[in-house]
Amino acid sequence: MKIMVCLKQVPHQDARLDINADGTWIQEDNIKFEINSYDTYALEEALRTKDAGEADVFVVSIGPDRVGQALRTALGMGADRAIHVNDDEANGSDSLGLAKILAAVAKQENPDLIFMGLMSDDDNSAAVAPMLAQLLDIPHTTAAVKVERSNGTVTCDREIEGGAHEVVELTAPCLIAVQTGLNQVRYASLKGIMAAKKKPFDVKSVADLGLSGQVGTGAAKVKIDRIAPPLKGDTAEILSGSTAEVVAGLVSKIKELGLL
Amino acid sequence: MSTVLIVTEIQNGSLREACYEVASLAQQIAAATGGSVKSLVMGQGVAALADEFSKKGGGDVFLAEGDALANHNAEAESKAIVAAVEASGADLVLIPSTPSGWDTAPRAAAALDAGFVSECFDITAEGGSITYKRRVFNGKLEATISASCDKVVASVQTGATTPFEGSSEGSVRKLDVSIGDLGTKFVEVKQAESKGVDLSKADVIVSGGRGVGTPEKFLEVIQPLADALGGAMGASRPVVDAGWLPHEYQVGSSGQVVQPKLYIACGISGAIQHLVGMKTSNYIIAINKDPDAPIFEVANLGVVADLLEIVPALTEALTAAKG
Ligand SMILES: Cc1cc2nc3c(=O)[nH]c(=O)nc-3n(C[C@H](O)[C@H](O)[C@H](O)COP(=O)(O)OP(=O)(O)OC[C@H]3O[C@@H](n4cnc5c(N)ncnc54)[C@H](O)[C@@H]3O)c2cc1C
Ligand SMILES: Nc1ncnc2c1ncn2[C@@H]1O[C@H](COP(=O)(O)O)[C@@H](O)[C@H]1O
Repeated sequence: MKIMVCLKQVPHQDARLDINADGTWIQEDNIKFEINSYDTYALEEALRTKDAGEADVFVVSIGPDRVGQALRTALGMGADRAIHVNDDEANGSDSLGLAKILAAVAKQENPDLIFMGLMSDDDNSAAVAPMLAQLLDIPHTTAAVKVERSNGTVTCDREIEGGAHEVVELTAPCLIAVQTGLNQVRYASLKGIMAAKKKPFDVKSVADLGLSGQVGTGAAKVKIDRIAPPLKGDTAEILSGSTAEVVAGLVSKIKELGLL
Repeated sequence: MSTVLIVTEIQNGSLREACYEVASLAQQIAAATGGSVKSLVMGQGVAALADEFSKKGGGDVFLAEGDALANHNAEAESKAIVAAVEASGADLVLIPSTPSGWDTAPRAAAALDAGFVSECFDITAEGGSITYKRRVFNGKLEATISASCDKVVASVQTGATTPFEGSSEGSVRKLDVSIGDLGTKFVEVKQAESKGVDLSKADVIVSGGRGVGTPEKFLEVIQPLADALGGAMGASRPVVDAGWLPHEYQVGSSGQVVQPKLYIACGISGAIQHLVGMKTSNYIIAINKDPDAPIFEVANLGVVADLLEIVPALTEALTAAKG
């Protein structure tokens, strides 16, 4: 069996978010990046099937040079090979553009299963996965918190509201976008990182995928005009001063609330 | 002129409140552009709901019925949406961003080759163009988005607008959808298991987030403050995902919704999914080292500092004050 895992490299969760010069995204220079948290769970789920001797796993990411690092980390964790779609022509793609690129990769590779994240930690769109499934005309589910395979079907628990789960059965090939927490994600071991250096790493352009002129800024149907911190409404009264002063303020408030 | 199609969702035999919230936006956009509002009601045996919605903001309703639509099924719903867009000539499709909506909406957008804007908290029509607002980076920034295409699907954050309370005049028309073979099968909904820790009974909840740093710090820092206040401990999702605490401690849209007299959020940024679980608390104190953390937007009182310094000092002072 062949499993495709789509991963996005996103700004580190603790990175400073400064807005770029034209006000349309954050300043990406000099910040740390990491694999999108949701996607680490997607990769882990795929690697467990590989560990059971049942699958080859390849990882795909679209993005600039820095994304090579995320793919190498995934190889270090145990993925068999990586495909990096690295092309300026892909820049500015909207969710549908990204899905078209991933669909072109999937059509070349014919995976039996595709694992993705429910959403990206930067864009928060939760869009690419269902779009990709539609473009490939395969079933999908999102927010999976449990995945079980038995010949030709995949049964997933998807998280709905208030802790309830919806159980769905998908016929393979199918696509599963996972929610965080469905497994405990491994780290890349030193041995894994050494082994990763010898693993196949393909770089593809938009033209290689037959998509020239169909993705990127020019083809994007929606675009961000402006990005800004939320307008401050009624924000909290902020207690400042030394630790002792702040604590005194908190204690008197808690007293006032009658909770002491 | 915009023809706005509202995609509704039925839950436990009635239209979700979110449908009326979406209707508010749809009616405003239609009014601003001189367009009209239409709706899609899908399910099995739901004609009465279609009729009801046509009078309460939904306008002309397309009714798609069939076994495949009786329960949530993204593939089937996506086909029904495509059929309704064709039948209505809609150029803007609005759908509540619920677990069903987020599963279906992007799929339908791709099937329509339409632009997609996810989880908008506001959509406005001015001077002939429509602007979408949504949160990115887990609520730390807001994006203003525009579309350059003839069809857009947008999902709408639940609770972001007030429900439509006016009336509308509309007809109900049956929509034939050829669903065909589906690779997706709905099996069942499993309700949440009963909780070992019932946070809803606590007067005070002290919650820790990823900023607490380690599981040990929950025991050393967060739990003692909860104990000093005779309250309970809670957590944000990443803490539970990492296995530091069991799921019953999680506060938020996929955990418990709580409303204590006092909620103290320590090292929690304030993502919308956390906020919906605690923002109606009577009084909220937030301790976070980032002055721009969205949690301060819902808090009454805030401290911008390292929680590892403030919380133990607070616990000590409270213990001393109790004597
Ligand atoms: C469908 C769905 C459902 C979800 N359900 C839930 C849910 O039920 N509950 C939930 O909580 N989330 C939920 N989430 C996740 C949510 O989007 C956020 O990812 C999550 O709430 C972030 O948790 P956090 O605030 O602890 O972590 P972060 O966002 O990483 O914030 C950590 C904060 O700690 C601060 N900090 C760090 N160190 C310190 C220090 N020493 N002192 C003081 N402050 C410090 C940082 O400034 C930062 O603001 C859900 C997401 C999705 C998509
Ligand atoms: N640039 C990218 N490269 C590879 N996969 C991506 C990319 N962007 C998004 N994805 C995948 O799509 C999922 C959902 O992202 P989004 O729709 O942006 O919230 C992510 O969790 C990834 O699995």
